[in-house]
Amino acid sequence: MEKGVVVIGGGIAGIQASMDLANRGFQVYLIEKSPSIGGRMAQLDKTFPTMDCSICILAPKMIEVAHHSNVHLLTYSEVKEVKGSVGNFKVKVTRKPRYVDETKCTGCGICTEKCPIEAPSEFDENIGARKAIYMPFPQAVPRIMTINKEDCMDCGICEKVCPSQAINREQKPQEIELDVGAIVVATGFDIFDCSMIPQYGYPQFKNVITAMELERLLCASGPTGGHLIRPSDGRIPRSIAFIQCVGSRDRRDWIDHPYCSSICCKYAVKDAVLIKEHEPDSLVTIFYIDMRAFGKGFQEFVNRAKSEFGVEFVRSNPGELREDPTTNNLTISFEDPVTRTVQDVKYDLVILSPALIPSAGIKELAKMLGIKLDNYGFLKLLDPVKKPLDTTAPGIFAAGYCLGPKTGDIPDSITQGSAAAGRVAQVLSVGGGHR
Amino acid sequence: MSSLDANFMHEVANTPRGRGVLACIQCGRCTNSCPVAKVMVEHNPRRLMEMIILGLRADVMLGPVPWHCLSCFTCLDRCPQGGDVGEAMFAIRNLAVKDGNIPRGVLTQARSLFEAGRVVTSGRMALIQREKCGLGKEPIVDVEAVQKILRKTCFDKLIQRGL
Amino acid sequence: MKYAFFLGCLVPAREPNYENSVRKIAPELGVELVEMDGANCCAPFSVQSVDYMSWLALAARNLCIAEQMELNILTLCNDCYESLLMTNMILKEDKETREKVNTILADVGLQFKGKTDVKIFSDVLYEDVGLEKVKNAIRAPFNGLRVAVQPGCHLTKPKRIHFGERTAATALDELVEATGAKSISYSAKDACCGGPLRGINDAVASNVAKQKLNSMKAARVDCIVTVCPFCFLELDIGQLEIKRHSKEEYDLPVLQFAELLRMAMGMKLENWEIKIHKVPLTKIINMVEAK
Repeated sequence: MEKGVVVIGGGIAGIQASMDLANRGFQVYLIEKSPSIGGRMAQLDKTFPTMDCSICILAPKMIEVAHHSNVHLLTYSEVKEVKGSVGNFKVKVTRKPRYVDETKCTGCGICTEKCPIEAPSEFDENIGARKAIYMPFPQAVPRIMTINKEDCMDCGICEKVCPSQAINREQKPQEIELDVGAIVVATGFDIFDCSMIPQYGYPQFKNVITAMELERLLCASGPTGGHLIRPSDGRIPRSIAFIQCVGSRDRRDWIDHPYCSSICCKYAVKDAVLIKEHEPDSLVTIFYIDMRAFGKGFQEFVNRAKSEFGVEFVRSNPGELREDPTTNNLTISFEDPVTRTVQDVKYDLVILSPALIPSAGIKELAKMLGIKLDNYGFLKLLDPVKKPLDTTAPGIFAAGYCLGPKTGDIPDSITQGSAAAGRVAQVLSVGGGHR
Repeated sequence: MSSLDANFMHEVANTPRGRGVLACIQCGRCTNSCPVAKVMVEHNPRRLMEMIILGLRADVMLGPVPWHCLSCFTCLDRCPQGGDVGEAMFAIRNLAVKDGNIPRGVLTQARSLFEAGRVVTSGRMALIQREKCGLGKEPIVDVEAVQKILRKTCFDKLIQRGL
Repeated sequence: MKYAFFLGCLVPAREPNYENSVRKIAPELGVELVEMDGANCCAPFSVQSVDYMSWLALAARNLCIAEQMELNILTLCNDCYESLLMTNMILKEDKETREKVNTILADVGLQFKGKTDVKIFSDVLYEDVGLEKVKNAIRAPFNGLRVAVQPGCHLTKPKRIHFGERTAATALDELVEATGAKSISYSAKDACCGGPLRGINDAVASNVAKQKLNSMKAARVDCIVTVCPFCFLELDIGQLEIKRHSKEEYDLPVLQFAELLRMAMGMKLENWEIKIHKVPLTKIINMVEAK
């Protein structure tokens, strides 16, 4: 009997790895620290360059992996300790208490409606609200409520209204130990804190937002129901600027993300086109250092953005933003690369493309797993050319952005998820040997 | 436009304050942060770096840019690549001075430094004021020591070229 | 607390009032200022523009004098601070350059050993004297005086030289508020005053100063407070220059922080000191007399 596999991280890379392994016949323990799988892809509105609705193509995969008989979904759970070696890992996992009985909750949502406490929604990048008892987004898998104990004031209303008596306020954390043969790490990325570059006025200037916040504003399941409106006054912005490389390609000691995050040029052009489709008369400008649109179809997409949609591309990196205190409009001073004169242009909304950084907690996780990190804090590969999925510990593989920018987009994460599953299968198959 | 000097970029990069030119990626953040660039079209730090990299030696050395820098170091703090534009300004100025180009304002201060050990000396009114209000005599500079140092570094010869 | 007192060139030449205020408040705060015999110019940007080694050697000579006195340097001027601090850092870290400079200094019987530190006046008050002691010395607080604090570029830039847990600029805000005044935030607070271009290109210098003054005016402040003699001249006399050329008036009196503190400590500015300020201090003086 082949040993099972632990997959850490329920984003698209982790989901793909789990599916392939489950289809291959392995028992998969998919561990996700937030209440639902889905990861970053669930937060996006549309994917480039096909402009598919992101959650529409992700949700079927989420449901498939959750319902697969070989997959054991452990959401709202974290890895606490790892012992052993390839073929024989003992992984201790803590299942955090949801204070909701998973066997009884149907996800009907009555409790959320009645809950009196509002808190910033992590899924909405803190620009939208959720309740103390909540489902992070409508397509969440598993479709079970979670109570955030820190926000909850124990009023008991949810318990009163739940038609399935699913509230269990006595729930305790549960420790389980898994005995597996291999581990796949797919913990994804976090987003650079743009307040570290104070000249862009984030977060004090209300109409300066990050690209992920923009995705939530554009998304129909987001805080504005998919309407792009200015945070300061709810009006439709008529002039929008994107500033690229906020934190990326930055060698300064106190920033220290010298790499290119590799997907920001692509998503900025995607978002610019989306905005132009919506409001063709608006001014949309992308301020870039280099336009990195590699791969199939992306340069053509950039060309179309210019010629068909009228997106403005300006090769000049703004140094600062100035806010008009009465209108909350932003002024950008920049050198026009053609005329070589400095101009001031007013924008209703400015979107920052932040660096994508190693996820918080990766240091502790790497220590637990006994694997090394690279100079940037992403997972280090055993051999970046010949073994691009192997971490520095045998039997532990990785997929997706936790390995660093590389090419970094969704198809690449899916590819790496499948590839990591392949590596696991090689190492664990009866007759395959531990290589 | 002057003819190109292929070695100029390295000439600048080999000075102690010009090392950053090799790191410049021409992103333009320096010009977009510069308080002088906002009010003076000829003062364009990014363009200066571009000219250095391209080897436009004469345009750089005889142009207005390095001498209009405020040395506020805003560009330096914001440059994502360690281009050290604010430092490169000094490197260019040093090279220009070696060629005999020194603006009058700088020359005046340099001469005062050599002759009196201070770039700005107190006028008669200021000295009288000190006496009247009980501040006492001004501190006395050891001009001999200053001149010894400045002769050793050939400072005196450099300012001669500008005269 | 004893310090080697580095006056610089500009303060004695143009702002003896600044020196006077510092000498008056220092003993009240336990700060002893010891004269640096024979100290020379710090070698500010004009000198640095001429030659690199001349700068380092001249600045280092001052550092050596302080080392011999076994004291840290206290300066009154942002540009002196920048020059001496940068030199100190370069010579402490770069062995090759240090040896070259010491070869030059040997001619005047000195050697740089890297044993002294350079501090600007406001940092001495904040770090060494401490806010508590400064607050305790206040006898005539300014109630709600709206101040536009002008930190000046060389108090905090380049960041890699001034990098620390707290920036000197916020320390200056706290010091100003210790006198009872309010440090008002304004959009151009981090901008340069334009001073270094005075005498090279007056029109540009005025345009740069205008951006600062416009921002301060929009924030409706009563006065400007700085620690740098260059900023002081540019923003004070600069207002007269701007009025002469483009008729714009700001009527924002400019004070050195030492003067603000001196008045808050209950001492009055003398007539000759008040006259040095080209934008009249009448508003402020009236406020002080009314207390």
